[in-house]
Amino acid sequence: MILHPAIVALVLVSLLLTMMSLAGAFFGIRIIRRWDLSSGSEEQLVLERQTYLISTILSYVLVFEIGSLFLFIYTADSMHTLFTGAMCAAGTLYVDAYGYPALLLKILNVILAGLWLIFNGVDNRAYDYPLIRKKYAMLLILAPLILAETVVQTLYFTRMNADVITSCCGSLFSLEGGSLPSDIAALPVKAAMAGFFSVLGLTLSSGLVYRFTGRLGWLFSFSGGLFFPVAGAAFIAFISLYFYELPTHRCPFCVLQREYGYIGYPLYAALLVGVICALGVGLLIPFRNISSLAGILPRVQRKLTLGCLLAYLTFAGITVLQMVRTDFILLD
Amino acid sequence: MIKLSGIIKIFNSGRTNEFVAVGGVTLALEANRVTVLKGPSGSGKTTLLSLIGCMARPTSGRITLHNGLLSGKRFSGIGEVAEVEVTSLPERFLTEVRRQTFGFIFQQFNLVKGVTALENVMLPAYPLGEKHDTVRRRALDLLEMFGLKARAAARVEWLSGGEAQRVAIARALMNDPPVIIADEPTAHLDSKLSVDFMEIIAKLKAQGKTTVIASHDPLVCGAAMVDRVIAVRDGRIDGEGP
Amino acid sequence: MIFKWIEKHRSILDFTLSSLLRRKGKNLSLFAVYALVVFMLASAMFLTQAMKREAALVLKDAPEMIVQRLLGGRYDPIPMEYVEKIKSIRGVVSAAPRLWGYYYDPVIGANYTLMVPRSDAPASEKIVIGNGISRTRMIYRDDILSLRGTDGMTRSFTVAGEISPESELVSADLILMAETDFRGLFDFPADRATDIAVSVRNQKELLTIARKVADLLPDTRPILREEMVRTYDSVFDWRGGIMIVLLLMALLAFAIFAWEKASGLSADEKREIGILKAIGWETADVMIVKAYEGLLISFFSFTVGILTAYGHVFFFSAFLFVPAMKGWSVLYPDFRITPFADPYQVAILFCLTVMPYTVATIVPSWRAAIIDPDAVMRS
Repeated sequence: MILHPAIVALVLVSLLLTMMSLAGAFFGIRIIRRWDLSSGSEEQLVLERQTYLISTILSYVLVFEIGSLFLFIYTADSMHTLFTGAMCAAGTLYVDAYGYPALLLKILNVILAGLWLIFNGVDNRAYDYPLIRKKYAMLLILAPLILAETVVQTLYFTRMNADVITSCCGSLFSLEGGSLPSDIAALPVKAAMAGFFSVLGLTLSSGLVYRFTGRLGWLFSFSGGLFFPVAGAAFIAFISLYFYELPTHRCPFCVLQREYGYIGYPLYAALLVGVICALGVGLLIPFRNISSLAGILPRVQRKLTLGCLLAYLTFAGITVLQMVRTDFILLD
Repeated sequence: MIKLSGIIKIFNSGRTNEFVAVGGVTLALEANRVTVLKGPSGSGKTTLLSLIGCMARPTSGRITLHNGLLSGKRFSGIGEVAEVEVTSLPERFLTEVRRQTFGFIFQQFNLVKGVTALENVMLPAYPLGEKHDTVRRRALDLLEMFGLKARAAARVEWLSGGEAQRVAIARALMNDPPVIIADEPTAHLDSKLSVDFMEIIAKLKAQGKTTVIASHDPLVCGAAMVDRVIAVRDGRIDGEGP
Repeated sequence: MIFKWIEKHRSILDFTLSSLLRRKGKNLSLFAVYALVVFMLASAMFLTQAMKREAALVLKDAPEMIVQRLLGGRYDPIPMEYVEKIKSIRGVVSAAPRLWGYYYDPVIGANYTLMVPRSDAPASEKIVIGNGISRTRMIYRDDILSLRGTDGMTRSFTVAGEISPESELVSADLILMAETDFRGLFDFPADRATDIAVSVRNQKELLTIARKVADLLPDTRPILREEMVRTYDSVFDWRGGIMIVLLLMALLAFAIFAWEKASGLSADEKREIGILKAIGWETADVMIVKAYEGLLISFFSFTVGILTAYGHVFFFSAFLFVPAMKGWSVLYPDFRITPFADPYQVAILFCLTVMPYTVATIVPSWRAAIIDPDAVMRS
């Protein structure tokens, strides 16, 4: 195992995250079983106090997960010198079978943790905690996923072998080759553009409709959620080319490096914020009819909508700006 | 007014040191009156006081806060209501109700040591997110009302007993609550200061506030402005009258 | 809405700061330990990273490719005629034979590297020595150093000068001598060299050319500079990592310490929280106080720890750590490490210190925040 300080840090962070989320889930189980708001018994008071603990734990989990995600990518990127053939994180992650799964799990957990906090925030604002059991049931899904992430990440690091020759992003995301990344890269540019802008347009318009009239909530949420993978694929298919100004460079990770002004960070951060907000809206829709939430829910959903729109507009804005600014011509 | 129905409070339920502090109290307290809960120590009046003031939840029974107290107050999440049953409110909401409805004066004053008088008075307003300057001005006005403006910047350890008592009262009034709750307020005061205290209570009554005091001090129980004296013994009501 | 949130947090932060200052004793000891832990970890990290860079910078001047000969899988001197053969490969700009070797000095139990420089070699029976050797054996210009050859005979060499201290990392144990002296000392065959240094026209073709060399001369092994850099990187990372793993023990102790400190509320502190709850602060508000406490302490300890570590490594040459990093060798180079620190390292250190601290204090903070205001009523 490569005892790089960053790896030690990442493993430590993951272990702490697992500990925290398992603790949260464990307390959550008790709450699901014994919660009774109308009782004034001491057990109920203890449970109520524990909800504060779990909320705090999960807030920290989200913050640390996000940090861990970016640190993970950055570490993979900076370690590329240790592996033949790797020029950036794309290659480092490909060194063994667990690199990309670890990354995907991290992204998933960031989104889930964000969604949980939205759910929790809404529940806490109602005077009778209407969502409490569902909320902690969600934790029972999140905690094992964080555990899985820790295991996969550890396997990734322990299975790493400096003697393995890995691929660089040029070949991983090239047009030949039958892997998923290359299939995405091989999407015809015009079609990818059309797909990207139409999903964006759908999200923005349904978002505005929802924001001002409260209708089309499902459509907005679905569209906003869909935009996340679509934008990712679009990035590989054509957006990257504008940033790198090379017809063959499509790597999603190189854009996080210094030579591109670290522009990747705001881009991906915007995507994450946007998808969490969009999915958050959808998550809350089924509970519209609960009386104690009647005043709170619409307000929260409107704010989430606004957040999503701003985030996706930022992403689109940076992208379009780059497309317009650069001399690189993709379409003739 | 404040209504209590069948209030029971048990500590350490199920264990060997189980203790019934309040064993079935039904009470209706009227607005804009001064009510005194009279009883020896251990009678449960302090517990009763904390239940009335929404500082603790009863083991069983119901507590309702009625209109008149709540006019003009809006609790987020509950909306404008005529009546709020506080017994099953989660802590977050209970605290908000308490913050806006009750002002507490404790036996030991309970001012934060090492902090100035002014800041002590400002503390209850911090979680409400008002502008700092507004809060500061209001606190200064309150201190001035009690003649303590000059002592605003003094640390509470340097205040005399009477001054500390008045700071405590000023703090209790910080959020302009309609109800004042005082637990043995004259226990550590001499006669003169005790009389001063009751005069302040009279003034507050004239302003429309409701007061509930727990005390076994005859000076308090026999004061002129007291409307109702309720005797409490062994966690139950034991009769009324002067 | 946002405005209220800001004001609320501002007020609470104000209160937290004054609250921390009111308990200087307890917080000062926490701050000292915290800063110390950050200091140790940061020193280890800064040193490792700086050494990596240092090695890379030095290796920048190393030959792009070195060709060694193998006999029975082990190293053997390479025939000089291979030089022309390598030169004939397309893309090779130059190929030059190198003469160097190790010499074990029983007097101080150290290994010297003896080398014949490609240009400006010392005159016969004269040597130029590295600072490490001159310091340890206290031999300076015009002194005599005796070396015992393979034939058992002792040869005396006069020190003509010392290698300039700029590249001490590499040259501390170096002795430069004339070719005839070298060959005589080691009884080195006249038609052989230690290895051949090769440079190519196009970097991208290095791998191809290396393969061609291996094909053309099957008993040789080409070594690329980037492989050497990678090896050094790995070694330094590994050493840095080992240090950090050891320091994890300290980290664990620190986490326990933090937990204890956070849990050990004095009666005064408990009372203060009780009062806050009694006058209308919620559990969540008190948790915000505790969170800000942790934040402020972390911020100051982390900053101080990192700054002192920076000073320690780059201005005082990491005197506490150097033995572990530079290899357990007898000759310690003495050099100024170039300052180098980037946000990435800071982020890693953050994960290794502030995060565990924060996690260790979550439960104690919560336990403090749920103190019943009821208790205050009764006191």
